[in-house]
Amino acid sequence: MTSKKNPPRAAACTVLIVEDNALVAKFYRMALERAGDFSCVVTEDVPKMLAEVEAGRVQVAVLDVSLSGTQWQGRPINGVELARLLKQHAAAHRGRPLPILLATAHAMAGDRERLLAASGADDYLEKPVYDAAHLVGKILNLLNSA
Amino acid sequence: MESCYHLLAIIVRSPGAQQVPAPGIPGRSKDAWGGQEGLLLESFLQEMKRYLGFTEVDARHLRELGPRMEKYFPELAERFYAQIRQHPHAFRVIAGGEAEIARLKQTLQQWARGLFSGVYDERYAGDRSQIGYRHVRVGLEQKYVISAMGIVRSYFSNCLLLEFPASDERLRYAHSLGKMLDLDLNLMCESYMHATVQNLRALNEQLERANRELAEASRIKDEFLAHTSHELRTPLNSILGFSKLILDGLCKSREEEQELLRDVFSSAQHLLGIVNDILDITRIEANQMILHLEDVNPRQVLDSTLPLVAVQAASKGLELHDLSARRPLPSVRADEVRLRQVLLNLLSNAVKFTSRGSVTVRAGVTGTDGVAPSRRAFLRFEVEDTGIGIPLEKREEVFHNFVQVDNSQTRRYGGSGLGLAISRRLVEMMGGAIGLDSGSQGRGTLVWFTIPVVPEAQQESSAAARRPRATATDRR
Ligand code: HEM
Repeated sequence: MTSKKNPPRAAACTVLIVEDNALVAKFYRMALERAGDFSCVVTEDVPKMLAEVEAGRVQVAVLDVSLSGTQWQGRPINGVELARLLKQHAAAHRGRPLPILLATAHAMAGDRERLLAASGADDYLEKPVYDAAHLVGKILNLLNSA
Repeated sequence: MESCYHLLAIIVRSPGAQQVPAPGIPGRSKDAWGGQEGLLLESFLQEMKRYLGFTEVDARHLRELGPRMEKYFPELAERFYAQIRQHPHAFRVIAGGEAEIARLKQTLQQWARGLFSGVYDERYAGDRSQIGYRHVRVGLEQKYVISAMGIVRSYFSNCLLLEFPASDERLRYAHSLGKMLDLDLNLMCESYMHATVQNLRALNEQLERANRELAEASRIKDEFLAHTSHELRTPLNSILGFSKLILDGLCKSREEEQELLRDVFSSAQHLLGIVNDILDITRIEANQMILHLEDVNPRQVLDSTLPLVAVQAASKGLELHDLSARRPLPSVRADEVRLRQVLLNLLSNAVKFTSRGSVTVRAGVTGTDGVAPSRRAFLRFEVEDTGIGIPLEKREEVFHNFVQVDNSQTRRYGGSGLGLAISRRLVEMMGGAIGLDSGSQGRGTLVWFTIPVVPEAQQESSAAARRPRATATDRR
């Protein structure tokens, strides 16, 4: 498994990672870089995310749902609202959709459906997310179907 | 970041906030048939009269009968209660012995007189149904009232036999009197009906309230479960993720593996802390937390706890002041392990949520537990930081409500978010109180708690022998 069996579709692909737990963000980055040859941008800063999307520097995003330090227009914003914001921004400025994977520790019955519907995200991963190949597979799927 | 403290706190619900009154017999007199019920009684009376065929003619007959019946009332009363004596079940509602029986005989005569008053209006109905209520309230079953009316009925027919030898005249009066007794009996029994309805209504309300409370409790449990699951998954993500990266051979060097293993280790420690907090709060909620109270030297507790946060404080560039070091402190009555846990919790919160400045500890004796003046002396501990502080309106919440004041803080800084709720319960179980204030410079947060001081007389001896003395079970 891992990188050899999953030839990265595009070494040029960059994943936007928004995750408030530093260790979890570190894991995503290592998993995506090592098992998938992706590049990663890790940030909790909304203007920076928007700039990355606008410039076309990121092709896909992994968002956490509960974000502690992230603010937008003077108030806290969570991953669900952020997903909608980024999607809108991508559509407006790049003319094409930004595939989004929600990764969250909210794992009670009904959370998946509720969060997917509310965010407009394309796929959903329940934490703990720990298999690098699985994560890479999910991202590749999103890119392929985009 | 609006607030600086741990944010999820579990309810430690204050029990017995509202006591539900047992469904009872409705209160007496006016309110029994007040308001709308008054109208109901009025229409009940009309309906009963119509049903019984009770007319003005009957009223006139009774008015005529009155003077001739008067002389029989004392004997009626005698016989009435002589009969009742023979029914122990009925008789036991008479609590006042012979004196009460004597009084009841009088009231029964009074009642009998009323039968012949000739005016049977709404007021009459009201008075009569009140009599019914008196019986409901003393717990007399309806069947005894009904059969007692039989005693009245047969006694009066004998009286009529004596008074009216001519049968047609007698029948006319007997007929009217019979309707009258039926009317009275119905009015008395209507009270029973009414009381039953009220009881059912009260019972219903009680059930509804219980239902709401259950739903609320179950919602709280669900929230707790959801939150707990969330908190556990985050460190698990790092533990599983990093170890799998190593196992998959995705590390570039042995150094990198070492680094990831350290992350795994710290996440696992974090996880352990959360698990311990969950166990603590669960035990507290289930009343299974047992404290071992003994005479504790607070100096030792402070000295052994402060170093545990000193490293972290230093690494953040925070100053850590112990202003309690200057003066001698009296022994306190506490569970040493739990006292240390509370202190450590407050200290590590302060360090965790302060990015610049200092964390200061104070301790001193006061004559209050911090909430109300007391005859006992307390040792008051204070932990003050120069962080951003907690909004006024959230001060109470952080200690008890099972609400997420701002659970994003919990995630950012780790921890179960249960620390303050646990501390509150522990402090209360040790007989003290805990609270939050703004820091002395008007910024930051000051958390204080009090622990009872060992009485003066016992101070000496206790220092020598620090044996466990008592077990405080949860006082809830
Ligand atoms: C036809 C049946 C009955 C009639 C007409 C009748 C009448 C009365 C009256 C007029 C009163 C006084 C109410 C007042 O002070 O406002 C009374 C009270 C009382 N009656 Fe009867 N009664 C009847 C049956 C019984 C029976 C079977 C018992 C059984 C022991 C009983 C026990 C009492 C007691 C204990 C009280 C005092 C209640 C109190 O303290 O509030 N009565 N009754």
